[in-house]
Amino acid sequence: MAFEAYSSALDDADIESSEIDGSVVCSATHYDKQRSPAGVVAEYLGLNPQPTFNVEAACASSAVGLRTAWALISSKLHDVVAVVGVQKMTELSSEEIQELMGRAGDVMWESPFGTTMPAYYAMYATAHMAKYGTTEEQMALVTVKNRKYGMKNPNAMFQKPISAEEVLKSRPVSAPLKLFDCCPNADGAACLIIANAEKAGKLTDTPVWVAGLGLASSPMSLAGRKGPLTSFEVTKNAAKAAYNMARVGPNDVDVAEVHDSFSITEILNYEDLGFAKPGGGTRLLEKEETELGGKIPVNIDGGLISKGHPVGATGASQLFALTKQLRGEAGSTQVDGAKIGLAQNIGGIGMYAAVTILKA
Amino acid sequence: MGFEKFGRFGYVSQTKINTLLSYLEKGQIAATKCKKCRRTYFPPRADCLDCRHSTIEWVVLDGKSSLITFTQVFFAPPAFQPETPYLLGLAQLTNGLRVFAPISPAVDKEQLNPGVELNLKVAKGSRNNLYYWLE
Repeated sequence: MAFEAYSSALDDADIESSEIDGSVVCSATHYDKQRSPAGVVAEYLGLNPQPTFNVEAACASSAVGLRTAWALISSKLHDVVAVVGVQKMTELSSEEIQELMGRAGDVMWESPFGTTMPAYYAMYATAHMAKYGTTEEQMALVTVKNRKYGMKNPNAMFQKPISAEEVLKSRPVSAPLKLFDCCPNADGAACLIIANAEKAGKLTDTPVWVAGLGLASSPMSLAGRKGPLTSFEVTKNAAKAAYNMARVGPNDVDVAEVHDSFSITEILNYEDLGFAKPGGGTRLLEKEETELGGKIPVNIDGGLISKGHPVGATGASQLFALTKQLRGEAGSTQVDGAKIGLAQNIGGIGMYAAVTILKA
Repeated sequence: MGFEKFGRFGYVSQTKINTLLSYLEKGQIAATKCKKCRRTYFPPRADCLDCRHSTIEWVVLDGKSSLITFTQVFFAPPAFQPETPYLLGLAQLTNGLRVFAPISPAVDKEQLNPGVELNLKVAKGSRNNLYYWLE
């Protein structure tokens, strides 16, 4: 699986393994049977004896992998680095995944009460509904939108449309979230080839530049977080850093990939990234401003809700989609003249968030 | 039995704050307070992150709290499946600190909303396990 993504990236960059002087393998290793998977992945890709190591930041692993590669290249330690995001979740039984999911939170003070990944996001949903009047019908619109675009993505796991009614009728997972408010577990891989400016200029006529890298953390425990829990401080902090570094603001973004692990997450992300005011995320959605043709198209590759969420691959998959957009290669979902793209990737239950801004 | 006795299903056996269990056994819920800078911690901590001192005292909480948010879990990890569906909540205590806890099944879900006043009370499980919940 990693080979398929890697080989396609090498073809695209017209480069061979011998020219890649290091690899960063990104996976949430608790899902892997293989211990220290960078070892076996680098071997299979033909990336020995170059340096390789794992980067783990839960669901944000490969966004942090890009940050790592950028630092390795900026420091002049490396010239060309492969960032390989990969996760093979179906090796685990549903029981095993559920058990792991139970330990998604603070294992001393929260997991002993039966927490799950959806439960944490559901608690944000409850708070947002109470403060802003957000409804389950509005949340369902996120799934409807993302599934519509998933049909146009041959790499997406779900290729069928869904109605708001089907979302609303699906079985409860953690109230108010239902089955189709949740992204599915999946197997997947995505690969990025990162090079310094000189090398990039030689490799391609259409390089995409890393303009802004924001990364932040929040307390792991929900009890340690402040405020009414209607937004993710971690996203706001990462966005601020990325916008500052790229010298752009939310209104400059032409196309975005945000972390739709759950329908409610996408609504919160609109607000936390500054695409909408606090509480205004649902209106942005209802006005179809995040659709293709809207003010800021979001997740028009289908998002995690359609593509699935192979934890370690998701961040790189978002950056892959943006790269296609910024090179004008996105086919039927191309945003005309897209020059600035933004990807936002949340790690776990919101203890990490990465915001990456790419420019054509 | 160590700290795995804490919770409905505990994962961690050895901690610096096992003393919490002896308070729970007495029907009390206690926080830790740094003896040097007087900062209070709940859940309890053995080490102060402000002044980095590690001498603490225990202070009993009154348990009065205000709900911030909640959920009802239908799809649970294996150890918790027999109890589904169950309620989980986040509440703010009178001292401003927050607690993540189950909400007692005796509480009517329809009455729950952010801002609702609840009490944090000691709860006992069927395996001699001890914890707290909101009721």
